[in-house]
Amino acid sequence: MKDLLRIKSLISTEIETLLNQQVKKEAYSSSVYLSMASWCNRNGYDFSSDYFFKQAEEERLHQLKFYKYILDMGGNSISPEITGIKQEYNSFREVFEEALDQEISVTNAIKNIYARCMKEQDFITMEFLNWFLKEQREEEYKARRALELFEVIGEEGTGRWQIDKHVGEIKYNAGA
Amino acid sequence: MTATLSPTTQWTDVFKTAKGAVYQCDEERCWYVDFAGKVAKFDYRCLLKLRKAVYHIDIEHALLNTTKDPDVEIIFICACDHCYVLSLLQIIALKEILEGTFVMLELNRILHERLFTVSV
Repeated sequence: MKDLLRIKSLISTEIETLLNQQVKKEAYSSSVYLSMASWCNRNGYDFSSDYFFKQAEEERLHQLKFYKYILDMGGNSISPEITGIKQEYNSFREVFEEALDQEISVTNAIKNIYARCMKEQDFITMEFLNWFLKEQREEEYKARRALELFEVIGEEGTGRWQIDKHVGEIKYNAGA
Repeated sequence: MTATLSPTTQWTDVFKTAKGAVYQCDEERCWYVDFAGKVAKFDYRCLLKLRKAVYHIDIEHALLNTTKDPDVEIIFICACDHCYVLSLLQIIALKEILEGTFVMLELNRILHERLFTVSV
């Protein structure tokens, strides 16, 4: 009896489901960042707003990467429905705290898929995920660094203005 | 192991219960589901859709439901020629068949990997 399932698709149904969940997660992240960009812009933090616009764009690219991978492997990509995006924040700091939370949850989700791939010995998807693991290093670093600025500069006086100015300059040097 | 329900092609038993069976046809690269009085042909996509549709039915909820609605589910799969109108007992039976089928297909995959892959 031929292995028809394998002929049609390289990835297992479980991995396909997990990858589709990740598509949704990345789309959600992108929307959250867009909402953060709007909040920052409305409250006069223009540099941070630009920073979040860029982040939103990046998350969207991640989403598409997962989406296309599923299709290329013979799976079924599901266009996600995104609802329940928070539009208001209590403080400038809270925005960055939630941005870090968001990145941590994305890292955990990718680790979870990786663990499943290891169990199934799906080395191809593991290799695909390597790029994302590296990317998460940068994403978490940037989010953590932004929060650090609140500690280093302080929010008093023109502190927030200074923080906003420096957020746009955060860079991660992967070689270091 | 092989059954010849069809005069032209060879079918292989995938999984069988007293209520029905699933056969695989290597030539046509599809499966035949013998259930509820008919033999229906499913390709890869449709078989996965059928599984999803059946697995998504909340059997427990339907059992505990005390309203007067008949316990009948219509399983309609988009872009597939077949439609099932099943009672609750039939759904349980179909679910059992599909679960067994996918376990066997997974086993077949493992066997292919272990036996037919050239080891280095």
